[in-house]
Amino acid sequence: MSETALATPEFSAAGRPAGRLRRRNWPAIIAWAVVLLILVLLPLYLPPGLLSAGQYVMVGAVGAIGLTLVFGQAGQLSLAHAFFLLVGGTAYSVLAGETTQAGAERIVGFGWPPLLALIGAVVITALFGLAFAPVAGRLKGIYLGIASLALVYIGFYLGRALPALTGGASSGRNPEPFSLFGFPFTNEGDIALFGVPLRQPERLWYLFLVVLVIGYLLAAGAMRGRVGRAWRAVRDHEAAAAAMGVNVLRAKAVAFAVSAAYAGLAGVLLVLWYGLLKPDESEFGNYGLNTSIAFLAMVLIGGLGSIPGAVAGALIVWGSQQILTLFAADLGLGTALSGFSPTVISLYVYGLAVIAVVLFEPGGLAAIGRNTVAALRGRRRSDMDSSGASGRRSAPPGKDGK
Amino acid sequence: MTATTAGPGTGTTRTDVPELRIDAVSLRFGGIQALDEVSFTVRPGTVHALIGPNGAGKSSCFNVISGLYRPTEGRVVLGETVLPELRPHRLAALGIGRSFQNIALSMHSTVLDNVMLGRHALTHGGFLSGGFRLPWTVREERRHAARAAEICAFLGLSHVVETPVGALPYGLAKRVDVARALAVEPRILLLDEPAAGLNAVETADMAATIVDLRAALDISVLLVEHDMGLVMGIADRVSVLDFGRLIADGPPAAVRRDPEVVKAYLGTGENGECPR
Repeated sequence: MSETALATPEFSAAGRPAGRLRRRNWPAIIAWAVVLLILVLLPLYLPPGLLSAGQYVMVGAVGAIGLTLVFGQAGQLSLAHAFFLLVGGTAYSVLAGETTQAGAERIVGFGWPPLLALIGAVVITALFGLAFAPVAGRLKGIYLGIASLALVYIGFYLGRALPALTGGASSGRNPEPFSLFGFPFTNEGDIALFGVPLRQPERLWYLFLVVLVIGYLLAAGAMRGRVGRAWRAVRDHEAAAAAMGVNVLRAKAVAFAVSAAYAGLAGVLLVLWYGLLKPDESEFGNYGLNTSIAFLAMVLIGGLGSIPGAVAGALIVWGSQQILTLFAADLGLGTALSGFSPTVISLYVYGLAVIAVVLFEPGGLAAIGRNTVAALRGRRRSDMDSSGASGRRSAPPGKDGK
Repeated sequence: MTATTAGPGTGTTRTDVPELRIDAVSLRFGGIQALDEVSFTVRPGTVHALIGPNGAGKSSCFNVISGLYRPTEGRVVLGETVLPELRPHRLAALGIGRSFQNIALSMHSTVLDNVMLGRHALTHGGFLSGGFRLPWTVREERRHAARAAEICAFLGLSHVVETPVGALPYGLAKRVDVARALAVEPRILLLDEPAAGLNAVETADMAATIVDLRAALDISVLLVEHDMGLVMGIADRVSVLDFGRLIADGPPAAVRRDPEVVKAYLGTGENGECPR
């Protein structure tokens, strides 16, 4: 069946130009450009509540991309995401803040420029992820999940035990507002776009959008190439991955570090959004088990391993929570103080979404998206996958994160 | 399918294909002696088959060679390198490619993506350089994708390079596994039951492919196989294991007449003719 001659290792001249890598997918490029344009224009029209909800969703999306990389692509279940969020937020607050005296407590700060502090916080969180690597290398599946969950409780303890860094659970600390080369992401100064003044909420929106786009492209690019292939091989068959030259332990460690870095970045954005770093007073606060589970729900709903799916999952999980809270009165829901609060209701909403995904489309929104695109292109391509299996497959972890 | 031109035992003209020596390898799992002082040599440029009845220790031996098991005693030496001293993932860079008995591919990834995994040890770059798609990363990716496409073409996979492996029939998926092992640019290719689960036509194709690729690339091939027709047809040399011991080692014609092999492996067959 060998149809072609195969020469020894030297590449045959320049090789084939590998057309598929150069072909541009114009419909997709145009679609993404439209989405980006909408996201750029949205803050000019949105009321403050929805603006804030959108920012929160973008924070969730950055974190969810990190989780879908480690869980969906590298196959390592992590429930430690909330902990890495706390590490990132704390690291930023410490690096960017000034040392202050709050009552009896001396709160430490290094006074770095915010951009440097943000990068520093991401690096520090990645190192925390790397420190977890020896555990990640030894455990698999749900056991790894439970072990990583321990970090959340360690974070819960440390948040209260180290008020010099976190400001303590009762008051927390105010993070330094972000600024870029002297441009503040606050209400300072007068700039406008199409006559709409850009104040703190709009500026933060654009900051978050830029961070999300960079994080998205970085993840998508890496998963398309060598690293993504190695991670998927580790997920699907460790022995085969090793036989092909992948250092399995190292791949797992890097996957955890990268995932933690994304969570740390989300943690920085979260304290900027909230204007406050506040460690939890109970196990179910901002950095508790519930947050880890919310991220898990995002990547499951979006489709394991899918990067656009993670963003869509964040929209559903954290978006529903914000929308329900915003419109609680209009919808006739209870207030935040009643037992059946909008936040609790949102738990039911995305809980049901997870169940629906598991029952009807294990590939999540990503598979639904893929199938829709396939159906749109349908007739022209139908003769290509004659087996019929490829189109109908609801493959959970899609190739190269699509 | 091209005719098989290269006769067996042609050897190699390449000087970088080393000898693979299995040197008094023993392997014990608790009280079970899986391998007992097994020694044989895969000469450069030959197709060498390792056979034996079920439970003879073929897979154990194969896993020792490919670094998944560490031998209790003895050594595996490739040229000058003692393999068990290395971590398994270092073997690919030494020019050892292996395929798996049960297809060990990423089912949701495309054929090309799976084959490209074989280029891992030949390429560079981590999360950031890949993520930012730095020019040299993109160039490297393109270069290696072209070679991977060549290898796919050689194995008759050109028409499915963009298809997810999970959508392929078993026979083709099996060839993807071999293509991935070839993508390592091996000097010695280890094939673990390349014909397992294939029908007669596919088995004949696989046999021809193995002979062709050995001839085209001038490499050594070590295969573990159940299918006696395939083994006797293409192997230059056959080593036979039974209960963890090497009971015969020689050219197929001699091995098939060896009384101990006939007794252990082929049962009571009188003329040594092998059942397919």
